[in-house]
Amino acid sequence: MRFDFTPEEKDFQRRLRSFLDDVLPADWHGPPDESSDDHWALNQDIKKGLAERGWLVMSWPKEYGGSDSSPMMNTIFAEEMAYRRAPGHDRFGTRMFGPTLMRFGTEEQRKKHLGSIARGEIQWCQGYSEPNSGSDLASLQTRAIEDGDDFVVTGAKIWTSLAHRADMMFMLVRTDPEAAPHKGISLILVDMKSPGVEVLPIVNMAGVHSFNHVVFDNVRVPKSNLVGDLNDGWRAGMTVLNFERSGIDYAAWARAALEEMVDYVNSDESAVTSAKSDPTIRIKLAELHMEVEAARLMCYDVSYRQGKGEIPSSEASMSKVTASEVYLKVLDYGVEILGMYGVLEPGSKQAELQGRFFKMRLFYTSGPILAGTNEIQKNIIAQRGLGLPRK
Amino acid sequence: MDFGLTETQELIRASAREFLEDRSKSDIVRAVAEGDNEALSSLWKDIVDLGWPSLTISEEHGGAGLSFSDLAVLLEELGASLAPTPLVESSISSWVIERFGPNSLKSDLLPQIANGGILITPAIVEQDASWDPESVKVAATRSGSTLVITGEKRFVAFAEQATHALTLVQIDNQEPALVAIPIWKADGVEQTPVAHASGVPVSSLTFNELEVPAGNIIATGNEAIKAVEELTAAGGVARAAQLAGLGRAVVDATVEYTVNREQFGRPVGTFQAVQHHLAEMAIAAKQVNHLAHSAAWSFSQEGYSVVAAAQAKIAASDKIAELCWTAHQCHGAIGFTWEHDLHLYTRRALAWKTDYGDSAFHKSKLANAMGL
Repeated sequence: MRFDFTPEEKDFQRRLRSFLDDVLPADWHGPPDESSDDHWALNQDIKKGLAERGWLVMSWPKEYGGSDSSPMMNTIFAEEMAYRRAPGHDRFGTRMFGPTLMRFGTEEQRKKHLGSIARGEIQWCQGYSEPNSGSDLASLQTRAIEDGDDFVVTGAKIWTSLAHRADMMFMLVRTDPEAAPHKGISLILVDMKSPGVEVLPIVNMAGVHSFNHVVFDNVRVPKSNLVGDLNDGWRAGMTVLNFERSGIDYAAWARAALEEMVDYVNSDESAVTSAKSDPTIRIKLAELHMEVEAARLMCYDVSYRQGKGEIPSSEASMSKVTASEVYLKVLDYGVEILGMYGVLEPGSKQAELQGRFFKMRLFYTSGPILAGTNEIQKNIIAQRGLGLPRK
Repeated sequence: MDFGLTETQELIRASAREFLEDRSKSDIVRAVAEGDNEALSSLWKDIVDLGWPSLTISEEHGGAGLSFSDLAVLLEELGASLAPTPLVESSISSWVIERFGPNSLKSDLLPQIANGGILITPAIVEQDASWDPESVKVAATRSGSTLVITGEKRFVAFAEQATHALTLVQIDNQEPALVAIPIWKADGVEQTPVAHASGVPVSSLTFNELEVPAGNIIATGNEAIKAVEELTAAGGVARAAQLAGLGRAVVDATVEYTVNREQFGRPVGTFQAVQHHLAEMAIAAKQVNHLAHSAAWSFSQEGYSVVAAAQAKIAASDKIAELCWTAHQCHGAIGFTWEHDLHLYTRRALAWKTDYGDSAFHKSKLANAMGL
């Protein structure tokens, strides 16, 4: 038992912090908004800077441009980036698609794509959910029909984050409509500039364009872009979800927001002066502090187990549920402390903390929904973790 | 970050499980709750023989010199088995004596605590049920090399079995002092047992001009306050470790029940409503486990973490009690009966929730540490 980072980990954390001090604007509060060109330019700059320092794909093997660092180092990286609400952390390429390609891709595919991810050059997006296939992903309907050296893809993906900024998409398509749902799916790679790909923006309830509806109309995709075997895409596709399922971003965002609230309550500059002397606020913030630490330890436990070679599926689900929920609790309480100021929109006159808490509360409503709803995660915990029967 | 157990800890866990499986069955837990002091003494004697009270006492003073993390691993098993035994009381008392006591007292008391000759239990709380050392009222007057003590301490666990009470007093109305008071069959000590949900003996102790040698003073003034704060923090973490084990045991029992209980032609554990209850219970048990381990680990570093200790006790108090209530819901009517063991866990969780500072007490401590 040791509840501290190693000297090597602490050193990396310190260097990453100082890098972020240099690259983030002095008045940076985030969160990054991918529909803003300024934010996106900063995203690209930071991503390049991270790549130059070898931090973007630290946990990858050396042969693919990584440094074989431990899952814990990767978690420290994700945690620091999220804590600063820094842009530039390309989770689709580095955390999800890259590791999947290492396991299921051909040598040629790895050569072609892994280098550009490691250098921070190519932005990937993930084409999984469809208008009629959310939690029940295996029911997806987007068709890919073989035609000579190509697949011809027709259908639609939805809730596709960053599709409007992405160069490439890794997507699940149905290649055998006769087979059982899980058996007729393949994983293919699509150039977003291909004729027939149309990206339609979806504005979320926070007023931000961060995800999209992507329509495919007879899009030709070379067969060399098939990852893994034909009709075996479900396996590769689910591997991605295992890489995706960690709560560390939420835990770090929650810690940052909580600290901001503590500073707000203590500050003499705050409009809501009564907060400082309100004992119920003290008690509630202390409770949230405990909840945030509990979530953080759940995430570290996942990395610890991964470092030992385990695949902690139930623990990963626990960390996602816990951290996404505690983040919303913190934001809810932040909005509540701000009282009538809590519902002023960003940019409004008299907004406190730039209206950030209200906007973040709306934006992160997505947390317990995306990447497998928390209800699906609880099924995983109950069935895989506790061994409760499915039927 | 290392969430794994050391080789020593694996050994502690395995031997504790083996021993407690046999020696802390529910009929023993129930017997002690019904006042069978024979059963209690016999269990404690076996525990002394295993050397558990000596675990964290330094080798210099006859102990095993192990860490608070090692103790936490043992306490988890104790909590899971509901063992009705004063190991926490003894361990955290010796912990504080070792850190704050004068050498003469340490060489006198600690070897005897380690070998079971002395059983010492904390007697801090008074009528106002507060763990805040500043609120001490039990009065002592100094008369030469003797303290004369008068007043009442409440909620003293295992006072009937204990030879000594680790007691906070106020000397001459001005100086707090932590004192190891011999109470076994002592004149001037009156015991009033209360019927306590924990299922172990709990009493109040009334001192009536009790004479205690001044040499039994462990610490005075600010040091005494610090000693009680560390005692409360360590006790809270110890309870958190027990509650983590208790929570795990309740999750396991609830899984077993819902897998075997059939309704509508299938196990009730196949229903999502039940699965989600259990997923949330499992998350709570794991969170408390991590926070308890993290806080226990801090006690093996330079100074303990006030923040981690408070977090552990807040989480344990709130989450494990709630976990037990959810377990009752999952068990349906059978879990509402006296006959079923589930309420033994719930009673213990509710009792431990109040020990060594409740959730509100530790939230206030944590808020202070957060700069609020």
